[in-house]
Amino acid sequence: MATRLQFENNNEVGVFAKLTSAYALVALGGSENFYSVFETELSEHIPVVKTSVAGTRLVGRITVGNKNGLLLPNTTTDQELMHIRNSLPDEVVVQRIDERLNSLGNCIACNDYVALVHPDIDKETEELVADVLGVEVFRQSIAGNTLVGSYCTFTNQGGLVAPNVSVEDLDELSSLLQVPLVAGTVNRGSDVVGAGLVANDWAAFCGWDTTATELSVIESVFKLRDSKPSNIVNEMRASLIDTLA
Amino acid sequence: MVLYNFKTIQVVPTAKDFIDIVLSKTQRQTPTVVHNGWAINRIRQFYMRKVKFTQSNWHEKLSKILDDFPKVDDMHPFFGDLLNVLYDRDHYKLALGQLHTARNLIDKVSQDYVRLMKYGDSLYRCKELKRAALGRMCTIMKKQGPSLAYLEQVRQHMSRLPAIEPNTRTLLVCGYPNVGKSSFMNKVTRADVDVQPYAFTTKSLFVGHMDYRYLRWQVIDTPGILDRPLEERNTIEMQSITALAHLRAAVLYVMDISEQCGHTLAEQAALFHSIKPLFANKPLLIVANKTDVTQVDSLSAEDKAILDEMVSEAAKMSGVAPTDAKLLMMSTLTEEGVMAVKQVACDRLLASRVEAKLQGKRIQDVAYRMHVATPAPRDRQARPPVIPPSVAAARARAMQAAEQAKKKTEKDMQEENGGAGVYSADMRKRYALQDPSWRYDIMPEIIEGHNVLDFVDPDIEARLEALDREEEAMAAAAELEGDDMDEDDLTPEQRELLKKIRARKTIVVAAHRRKKSAANNAPIKPRRVDADRTSTTQHMKASLARVGVDASAAIERARARSVSRVGRKRLRSASAAAPADMDVDGSQAPPQKRIHSSKSRSMSRGRALSTAKPIEGQGLKNEAQHNKAIKMHDKMQKRMGKAARKGEADRHIPDLKPKHLFSGKRGIGKTDRR
Repeated sequence: MATRLQFENNNEVGVFAKLTSAYALVALGGSENFYSVFETELSEHIPVVKTSVAGTRLVGRITVGNKNGLLLPNTTTDQELMHIRNSLPDEVVVQRIDERLNSLGNCIACNDYVALVHPDIDKETEELVADVLGVEVFRQSIAGNTLVGSYCTFTNQGGLVAPNVSVEDLDELSSLLQVPLVAGTVNRGSDVVGAGLVANDWAAFCGWDTTATELSVIESVFKLRDSKPSNIVNEMRASLIDTLA
Repeated sequence: MVLYNFKTIQVVPTAKDFIDIVLSKTQRQTPTVVHNGWAINRIRQFYMRKVKFTQSNWHEKLSKILDDFPKVDDMHPFFGDLLNVLYDRDHYKLALGQLHTARNLIDKVSQDYVRLMKYGDSLYRCKELKRAALGRMCTIMKKQGPSLAYLEQVRQHMSRLPAIEPNTRTLLVCGYPNVGKSSFMNKVTRADVDVQPYAFTTKSLFVGHMDYRYLRWQVIDTPGILDRPLEERNTIEMQSITALAHLRAAVLYVMDISEQCGHTLAEQAALFHSIKPLFANKPLLIVANKTDVTQVDSLSAEDKAILDEMVSEAAKMSGVAPTDAKLLMMSTLTEEGVMAVKQVACDRLLASRVEAKLQGKRIQDVAYRMHVATPAPRDRQARPPVIPPSVAAARARAMQAAEQAKKKTEKDMQEENGGAGVYSADMRKRYALQDPSWRYDIMPEIIEGHNVLDFVDPDIEARLEALDREEEAMAAAAELEGDDMDEDDLTPEQRELLKKIRARKTIVVAAHRRKKSAANNAPIKPRRVDADRTSTTQHMKASLARVGVDASAAIERARARSVSRVGRKRLRSASAAAPADMDVDGSQAPPQKRIHSSKSRSMSRGRALSTAKPIEGQGLKNEAQHNKAIKMHDKMQKRMGKAARKGEADRHIPDLKPKHLFSGKRGIGKTDRR
């Protein structure tokens, strides 16, 4: 089930939240509105942790994680690290890593089995990603964009990629990640999919501006609410053509 | 996206107001004082400025009006025709054209009078020329009174026009008056159009919006049309005709089969046939309304034939196979069939739009968006989704009890406890710790200037446990083998000593173990802050005493050499000085060294040199160098001292404007006071 929400009038929910199948990190805001949307949807099933990282609210962009672990940039303070460790279940390995490209969420995109990383990322970081998150790691760019985490979002069920990618690239990425992929936008045409959307295997959250068409593409490709990716080709085709062309 | 926004046009003032506005602006924003004694050039300049300023104001204001009002020829033909119907295109164009001419005339007048002003030879003449110029400008604008009034009326009406987008997905509802067009609109959208049981309730176009198939649809309710020649139609009907003619929409031709509207089916069919050309190339549907009053089956054979003919005609015109053509039935009163009509209409329009778009070029650019990349399996590894079982359970529960009480969220708690900004959320309440009671334990961050987490050893518990076990094992072993030496033949002193030795040994071993276990983790602290390793005399005494050395002499020596002692003031009398040094332990202390080399010098003489020792890290080799540096610094400071400055950066000026320099003098060379 995909939910629309805003963080303090900002539609880039992926910047202020990180969602995985085992936990969710949410930025500290002036009010509880943003947090409570996650709380209602998720807190029954997984811990929803309110935290800052490195003193900023950009938790979604500077961290990366999945059900196995969570990687934090080296700017994370001890107190934040302790807070996150206290809040997450023990199975989740929380680790702070020294990486020059410390906006990990922008440079790394992953689900529970596969990760795409920025081509310039350190060898050690790559190994850490493989070990801590327990994933296969591929150095990749998406249609020339090296910030893989910003331009795609994928779960174990499916993924959404920024719209400037060709069909061949999409097929190649799909067989790399082993999930169905679709090129699409969020927030009324924004191509920074990673910033506008967070998703896991049963829930997704996107910016308030997301149109109904975008939302239904998201629900179909992430297989939320019993819809399936083939809907995009079948039922939604006419609507898509009419909005896009 | 709003393509046509008529709400931003600025108010057009009446001619009188317009003149007042411009003239008062001239009065306010140009100089007002002029003297007869001025040079004639200055006087001319003064009045020219007024004329030019007024002209530029007129020009600016008129240009704004001309820019604000849309040009009929640039607009979508729908709006162009609507403008023609509502305000009369010729009149509209004429009014704008006259304003344009007025603007040019005013420019001309200004140009002429500025030129004439150059020949003005006195203040009076120049003033009269200015008066004439402004007067002519105002006369020109006074003549524009009717145009301005008309444009203001048009502006007010246009700002209330519905925001119709000519190119989006649109359903257009049309038909005879009072057949139920507005009722249908009210049912499918949230527009609240007035519905009354008399003809021509709807007097203009109304717009409503609805959502269907993830898309936003525009529904346009048109006023009813009567069946008469185009020339005889009134403004209200013409709006409908304009919409039908220019909007590429799905047309719903609504018919009242109960004939309650006062028009027979035959009349309604006649209207349909007479405005048929307007339906060309559009999805067209015949909708029979008011089925709650009359069923189609109960109609007479002629009426049925009329309906069938219309349906087949509509199918033919919109290019639908005759087999698919169908009369749609609905009742806006009971809402029966309303949604079906909406769906059929929307689907038909969408299909036609998609078909049109597939012919176009742009479809190539977005084709990839319709592509779902499905992965080719690259290995045999399964990658199942990770969904907690609680999710499925929760979904089932939610299905069962949708009405179940809403869960209390942080937001609710925030509202209860003073709202955003006041409520302080509890960050720790969901900590997943072994013992929930630990959640609110105070966790120190910094102790004595040290970050606590730097010293935390996560394995400490395990290690301590291991150490305990090891000790126990050792104790047990010692107990077992301790008996191989006979302790009975020891004297009590020896026994005491042995006990001491053993105690000491355990301490040493434990310390060593601790050190070894923490070898990699213990931070290396500087000696200065490490309480165990500071070099104090007590320490020295204790550690030497432990190995059986009497350290008093050594301590004495060390104390005598300590910095604080060397710099200590000479005591006034020898007797007072002596005992303080002597009574440490009664032994003879070595004689103190003299500070100065020469005995002949008086001890009371002030020191010539600073005896400060070079501080490490300053880059000075020895004391001499250090003293030289001090001297150089003093010398340099002397210059600053003379100027009463604190340092190079001191740029303070005590008094920026000394009274004696500025009083009694005037700026432009006159020395007398007024």
